[in-house]
Amino acid sequence: MTFLRKLALTTALVAGLSAPVAAEDVKFGLLQDFTAVYTFVTGQYNQGQQDYLALVNAEGTLGDGNTVTAIVRDTGNQPQRGIEAYNRAKEEGAILFDFLSTPVSAAILDQAQADKNVVITPAHGRGDASDGTVFPYVFPMLPTYWAQAAALIEHMKETGGLEGKKIAIVHIDSPFGREPGPILEALSKQEGFEFQAFPYASPGNEQSAAWSEVRRYRPDYVLIWGAGGGQAVSVRTAIQNGIRPEQIHSVIWLAETDAANVGPQMKGVKRFEATASGTDHPIIQRIQEKVIDAGKGSGDQANVGNSYYNLGVATMAVAVEAARLGLEEGQPLTGETLKAGFEKIAGFDAEGLMPPVTYTAEDHQGGGAGRVSEWDGEKWVPVSEWKASYPELIRQVIEESAAKYAAEH
Amino acid sequence: MAYFLELLISGALTGLMYSLVALGFVLIYKSAGVPNLAQGALVMTAGYAVWLVMAWGLNVWIAIPIAAAIMFGFGLVVERLLLRRMVGQPVIMVVMLTLGLEILLRGMVPGILGSTPKPIDLGIDFAPIIIGDVFINRTSLYGGIVALALVGASLLFFRTRTGTKLRAVSDDHVSSWAVGISVERAIGISWGLAGIAAVVAGALWGSSQGVDWTLSALLFPAVAVVILGGVDSVPGVLVGGILVGVLGTVIPGYLDSVAGGSTRDVVTSLIILLTIMVRPFGIFGREDIERI
Repeated sequence: MTFLRKLALTTALVAGLSAPVAAEDVKFGLLQDFTAVYTFVTGQYNQGQQDYLALVNAEGTLGDGNTVTAIVRDTGNQPQRGIEAYNRAKEEGAILFDFLSTPVSAAILDQAQADKNVVITPAHGRGDASDGTVFPYVFPMLPTYWAQAAALIEHMKETGGLEGKKIAIVHIDSPFGREPGPILEALSKQEGFEFQAFPYASPGNEQSAAWSEVRRYRPDYVLIWGAGGGQAVSVRTAIQNGIRPEQIHSVIWLAETDAANVGPQMKGVKRFEATASGTDHPIIQRIQEKVIDAGKGSGDQANVGNSYYNLGVATMAVAVEAARLGLEEGQPLTGETLKAGFEKIAGFDAEGLMPPVTYTAEDHQGGGAGRVSEWDGEKWVPVSEWKASYPELIRQVIEESAAKYAAEH
Repeated sequence: MAYFLELLISGALTGLMYSLVALGFVLIYKSAGVPNLAQGALVMTAGYAVWLVMAWGLNVWIAIPIAAAIMFGFGLVVERLLLRRMVGQPVIMVVMLTLGLEILLRGMVPGILGSTPKPIDLGIDFAPIIIGDVFINRTSLYGGIVALALVGASLLFFRTRTGTKLRAVSDDHVSSWAVGISVERAIGISWGLAGIAAVVAGALWGSSQGVDWTLSALLFPAVAVVILGGVDSVPGVLVGGILVGVLGTVIPGYLDSVAGGSTRDVVTSLIILLTIMVRPFGIFGREDIERI
């Protein structure tokens, strides 16, 4: 090798080592159901996600000129379309995916794990994916339906007691609707209450037979486990059957739109929440100032601060925090480094928008903390503190189910 | 006994509300001879129309007639732009066209107007009517009364000059043309009337659950109603509706907690299957016998 060639190579090497790492554009695939089953939530949820990512770019949260881009596509809740959208987004460089659809997430889970891409499944998907040892690239991120049921039961215990009480669970007839069953079974033995399930046909336009039966069961508390328009029908028909609003406790899918559909009679109904609602939070206020007021919002301004909008914001706040921590190593961000970033998150609460979450290689649920809030006629008011309820029991159910999955795969 | 009575009454009233959806189906079939699989999406679109007019600041009772006018116009447009092109095409293609319209509306309307459930407040009191230990839902009760009135009005309509023309068109397009009846206009009117029926159904069901895509799911029980009652029979809509509602409420009322799942859709499916096997033209439907 000539001296000149050696000099040129050395110069190039030194230049390469000393040059700043090129800024990254981190891509998240928000491939969701905008036109079929999950439409009651997707619009507002996705709006919150996109607005938060716009805030991240406006504030340079990821540092060093790094940005984040959302790839948004409709899957229509169809696994085939979801797989196609996943493959396209993967080709475009996406390393994190949120399908907000249990069937689509389920269809892609194995492929995403093999690709080492992160799939987040907040408030949907498999609860046992919280076991990071079995599902290393899946992050339920927020309390599973099991943790939600446990939180609502614990709230009943704290406010009126459970010994000798009767709980009716009125649910949509689907795997999602039957999700709380094992938790109620275990807790009924532990806490000394009895419960009975009352299913209704999907999508829940008409539930009169179920509620006539519930009235005769004379429950002390009622759990409603549905989503979308069926939730308003549940609350209305419950009240029409003499159930007091204060007796009604809902899964996370009960929001401001449902309250508008039910009307003033909704006052007193309780629900589980994983994130706070309203605009009185630093992140939401900065979104208002730097994204919405700057004309960069992605949807109807009236949605800012509502339950599903804030849920979307929280999911992206956690994902961006994981990306930020993943980038700290100075390596290009991949699915693997993003996963590592998630597992470094400790005590993150999105500036008070959600309870502090900590993810580990074992726990991808983040602790499972949430709280109960009550509709006061205008807004959701918290009636309990952020906390994880019956965490040992929930972990046991998660591990048992994950072990069963592992044995079958 | 009180439980059975409550299920019976509740089922009958719910069935009458299904009749509101089914009525549009029968109106089109009776006039145009086309099975309209888009009726569920028409009800959803009509619900959105009522909500949209209310969003302009108008009272619901003003919004409903305005939405009815809009949906009547929509029905005419559907006939002019879609159905008229299908003249002379096999019936199966027309059925596929209405199925395509159903899917299009179900995706497009919530896509444009928003997919979160929209409220329609008809001002109906929440408190049930209580007779002994039997609770009667006021929305279902008023819905049932409206269904009876609308079916009665439809029966009268088919006795009018225009109604007679529509029946003639349903019988035979060519003969109708031959005697100077505008077949296109008649079919357009039938779609417009189905649009009006959809507004009533959309407003009542929408007041109970909010307006969103799930209103289109009412197509399933409505199809059961028209198959049982007879696809070309207006009185059949009432009888079929009551039977589908009663069976779909009473049977699940006793079976669901035992079966551990909802049996309503199973009951509805069985009604469809058994009717087609035993009496394919339904209870009141006309049995056409063709010489081969």
